[in-house]
Amino acid sequence: MKRHKTFMAVAAATALSITLAGCAGGASKDESSGGESGTSGTLTFRSWSPIEQTTKQMVDTFTAANPGSKIDSTIFNYPEYLVDLQTRASSNTMPDIIGLQPGALTQQYRTNLMPLQDCASKTWGADWQSKFYPIGIDQARLGNPDGDENFYSLPLLVQTVNLWANTKIFEEKNAQIPKTWDELKSTVDQLKGGEYAPFMLPAKDSWLRNVVFLQIANNIAPGLPYEAEDGTKSWADPKLVEAFSYWQKLFTEKIAQDGAIGLDAYPSGANQFEAGNAAMIPLGAWWIQQSDPSKTGLPPLSEGMSGYQPFLFPTIPGGAAESQFVGGIDVALGISKNTKNPDLACKALTDFIAGAGAQKLINTFNDLPAVTGLNPEKFTSDKQKQIWDTFTTDWMPKVKYSRYLKSPEMDTALGDALSAVATGQLTPQAAAEKVQAAQQKVK
Amino acid sequence: MTSATLARPKPRRDWLPGTLFLLPTFALFALFVVYPIVYNVQASTLDWDGVNVGEFVGLGNYTELLKDPIFVTTLKNSGWWILLTIVPQALIGFFLALLLNEKIRGRSIYRAIFFVPAVLSPVVVGIVWQRMLDPFNGVFAKIGRATGLEFLTKGYLADPKTAIFAAIVVNVWMWTGFSMLFYLAGLQLIDDSVLQAAKIDGASTWKTVTAIIWPLLKSTHLSLLLLGIIGSLKTFELVYVLTEGGPNHASEMLPTYTFKQAFQLQSVGYASTISVVLLVIAVVSSLSMVRAFGSGFLTGDDKK
Repeated sequence: MKRHKTFMAVAAATALSITLAGCAGGASKDESSGGESGTSGTLTFRSWSPIEQTTKQMVDTFTAANPGSKIDSTIFNYPEYLVDLQTRASSNTMPDIIGLQPGALTQQYRTNLMPLQDCASKTWGADWQSKFYPIGIDQARLGNPDGDENFYSLPLLVQTVNLWANTKIFEEKNAQIPKTWDELKSTVDQLKGGEYAPFMLPAKDSWLRNVVFLQIANNIAPGLPYEAEDGTKSWADPKLVEAFSYWQKLFTEKIAQDGAIGLDAYPSGANQFEAGNAAMIPLGAWWIQQSDPSKTGLPPLSEGMSGYQPFLFPTIPGGAAESQFVGGIDVALGISKNTKNPDLACKALTDFIAGAGAQKLINTFNDLPAVTGLNPEKFTSDKQKQIWDTFTTDWMPKVKYSRYLKSPEMDTALGDALSAVATGQLTPQAAAEKVQAAQQKVK
Repeated sequence: MTSATLARPKPRRDWLPGTLFLLPTFALFALFVVYPIVYNVQASTLDWDGVNVGEFVGLGNYTELLKDPIFVTTLKNSGWWILLTIVPQALIGFFLALLLNEKIRGRSIYRAIFFVPAVLSPVVVGIVWQRMLDPFNGVFAKIGRATGLEFLTKGYLADPKTAIFAAIVVNVWMWTGFSMLFYLAGLQLIDDSVLQAAKIDGASTWKTVTAIIWPLLKSTHLSLLLLGIIGSLKTFELVYVLTEGGPNHASEMLPTYTFKQAFQLQSVGYASTISVVLLVIAVVSSLSMVRAFGSGFLTGDDKK
């Protein structure tokens, strides 16, 4: 019995000491990697983007140009990255440079991040903001508390969200890329009956449902979803209910393929589109990377982007006369506020965004650069260059509406409501009211 | 050894070496089991994003959880999962094991083939099955359209009424080989003389299987039952890849919902609450089984 008691005492003491050593709910004290001050030393970089091979090229370019510097980089899948970042933040091992998304993710780590405007102005001059596409600058501070004008992250890559057409199918069927909702319907009808989906909607992913909805909603009433999110308008506004109705029509009027709500964008939807199994698909500017000059053995449609054409989501009857541009930051970078080597971290971050590292990044067509005037050194075809110019010169400067909502709660509520409408569980009106109810709960 | 020695009471410090030998194990247990549980329980009382300072909310997360319709769905889905994976997996696995315990040509190859799905990554299995079940371009839909078998063309993963059951079917496909292997191991342990005696007594094959082999494999059934319950409660990768818990949370499981709350909605406190409930369910299930069947059932010992 006494032995039992002794065991219990040891167990209790151990559990208590462990508990006291590391409680849940405390803010982390950041301890980034050590290093010499100045422009030599070691940095850690963690992100989900760019991909590993591209990141290695960027890092190699930077370290070659900065002797004595070293960057320990690791690239994860996005869900794993979130786990890694949260764990590191909780265990005081926050990396020096981290990948971020604008809004909720940046805000979650805001207290661990260094304001970057000084780094930016020191590197690019006082008018540094003019180097970036306006939507990138807007979104970099998305969700900052009132009065906080700091930039806790700077955009690395930006994008539009839009539709892509398989031009081979369109040419074969003598079809025109649709500019209005009615044209979309008639084009889908015209393209039906083949071995491909006229309009492939990989709607299993919440992010894809939301970006398609935001394109529809902004085409009906530009800017209204963000007013609803700010509380100045309601999600149950008739114009937004109409947007839910048009989303529903994608399913009820058989514009999207059967089983759309069960198909993911990556890898399934993208693979099918690349294999020629779809005439149209909603993705974004990043699809231009299908013709990465460093890759060989590309599928025929992807060779020089020969089989693809980007276009904007068609206008909606009674809505805006022109299709609206929706997009924003793909990935942004932040620096841990407790980095041991802020100068080197600033130098690496600005190099990745607009220096030699950025050039390596852009050469792979990973997505569009956050800064203007940065172009790939090599295009795989004139068509790819023409598409690139469309994105960087014509579309990106005009992107006014965000592909994100500010809070993850609203992103989730909207994605759930769209899923429920698509499967017939909710009417557009009920879905809009449900999103509004979620909005009222957001702090 | 004299009787005097035997009679001498043990020195009080005899327990020390044993305790010291146990300490490393205890330390590991405390670090990797006790600490995470204590941490989780504490986190479940917070409104916390996992990074910034949390706010103590007492049992607020638990109250919220009880009113959460998605949580109720996860419990229902866990119930379906336990029921509809354990029984079919056990039955199919048992009959496969019986078949492949016979001296048939190439049985090692068949055993390997049936076991292969169990060693595949659930992510790979999820991606492949999602493609196969795609009603637009999947293999099943193509076969259905070619043969007129309409039911094969349905979008089972895209329908909230069927998504969880479609995921369960994939899970059964994946893990039946594992049950088969367990039963094969159990069958090897049955004394051949018992089966010979049954044969001499004129027992039919059916009678031998149902009245002799099946009862003798009780410890295997119970082991699979326990592993099945725990595995069902822990199911994550397959569902996440197949349906992401959708459509509209229709196939949500406790771990997928926990992940979403913790890492997508930045509600680590709420996610910890779900984890605590999951832990309680798992512990209660396991203890109930131990109480009902005895602690020796896993090893095949008599009831203890």
